[in-house]
Amino acid sequence: MPFAKLHESGQWEDEYGGLGPAKPGLASRQDPVGEFPTGPAIGERFPDVIATAQDGVALDVHRHRADRATVFVFYRSAVW
Amino acid sequence: MALYAISYDEVDALADFTRAHDVTFPLLSDPDSEIIERFGILNTIIDPDDHPWYGIPFPGAYVLDADGTIVTKFFESSLQFRPSADQLLRAALGDDIHLPPMPAARGESVGYDVIFDGDLLRAGVLHDLVVRFAVPEGQHLYGEPVPDGMVATTVEIEPDLGLVVRPAIFPPTVPHTLAGTGETLRIFDGDVVIRIPVTQLSRSLTPLDDGSFVQRIGGTVRWQACDDDTCHLPRSDHFSIDVPAAPHHRPEAELVDPNGMDMPAHLTKMVARRTDKSLGQVLFEITGHDA
Repeated sequence: MPFAKLHESGQWEDEYGGLGPAKPGLASRQDPVGEFPTGPAIGERFPDVIATAQDGVALDVHRHRADRATVFVFYRSAVW
Repeated sequence: MALYAISYDEVDALADFTRAHDVTFPLLSDPDSEIIERFGILNTIIDPDDHPWYGIPFPGAYVLDADGTIVTKFFESSLQFRPSADQLLRAALGDDIHLPPMPAARGESVGYDVIFDGDLLRAGVLHDLVVRFAVPEGQHLYGEPVPDGMVATTVEIEPDLGLVVRPAIFPPTVPHTLAGTGETLRIFDGDVVIRIPVTQLSRSLTPLDDGSFVQRIGGTVRWQACDDDTCHLPRSDHFSIDVPAAPHHRPEAELVDPNGMDMPAHLTKMVARRTDKSLGQVLFEITGHDA
């Protein structure tokens, strides 16, 4: 199990000093050790993505971004 | 430029988050993690029965050029670390934003400076420390590897328990054949800009009188400048820079609901979509405490 220390706040502290309700090694605090997959490679065309946006409308990323430079972020959750 | 962010959240959660934070760019919903899985970045360390946590990606960001080609990726193994907006903007828009003018070469000698690319070094957020060498016309610096007796251009950051340092990012080198020996080495073409991603862990911050903090970053730069005929002596120089820094957020300093939305309601829905367990049961399990 990774380093975990119960902080005085009642939350769990990880090896980097970060705090969270989940004990390191559980829930989202299960981090890969060493190499882990990072998806399509640099130099490849970004795959097609069509997904529903917060307005409830489906969005085709390549069509929507047109010819703009783009940052595309995969993140954990807006809820927690 | 364009910005998108995707998660396994439901659309109504993204809509609430958008209202709470005045988000002006598309937040995309991938509730079944179909896109996350198709990209091959599903966090497979989390057990498929571990709801609602299963389904998140290894978090990261892709930067695309105008043609849609991936030009840079930012991935970290721990959620404690993430790229800064400055890094993402730099990758998307190029090197000409934010930074002050290059330092001047000192006559026939190489000049250099060390600057922090950002305004504030927050705990866990990666910014670039930028080392810039101004190389006089007709001279060049060497990249790795170099033969014995010559010095490649390097930056070494002093170890610090409160500092996280990622591998330096060098510009590409070009081949260069020495006139005397005919040997071909790798050189940098013109001025050299090296980026070293760094962040801090709030373990070695220095408090200032005004209540703010700095993170001191020290290091050593080495280089050797040559022209087509002769080489100057290798140079080595120590630098130290104080970077404005912000410590870890601690629970007592945080808002009751940092997401500005009805987190329990959305979390309850996330749990209910895949398991019969209650939210309380799920939250109790992640604390690792005995029942």
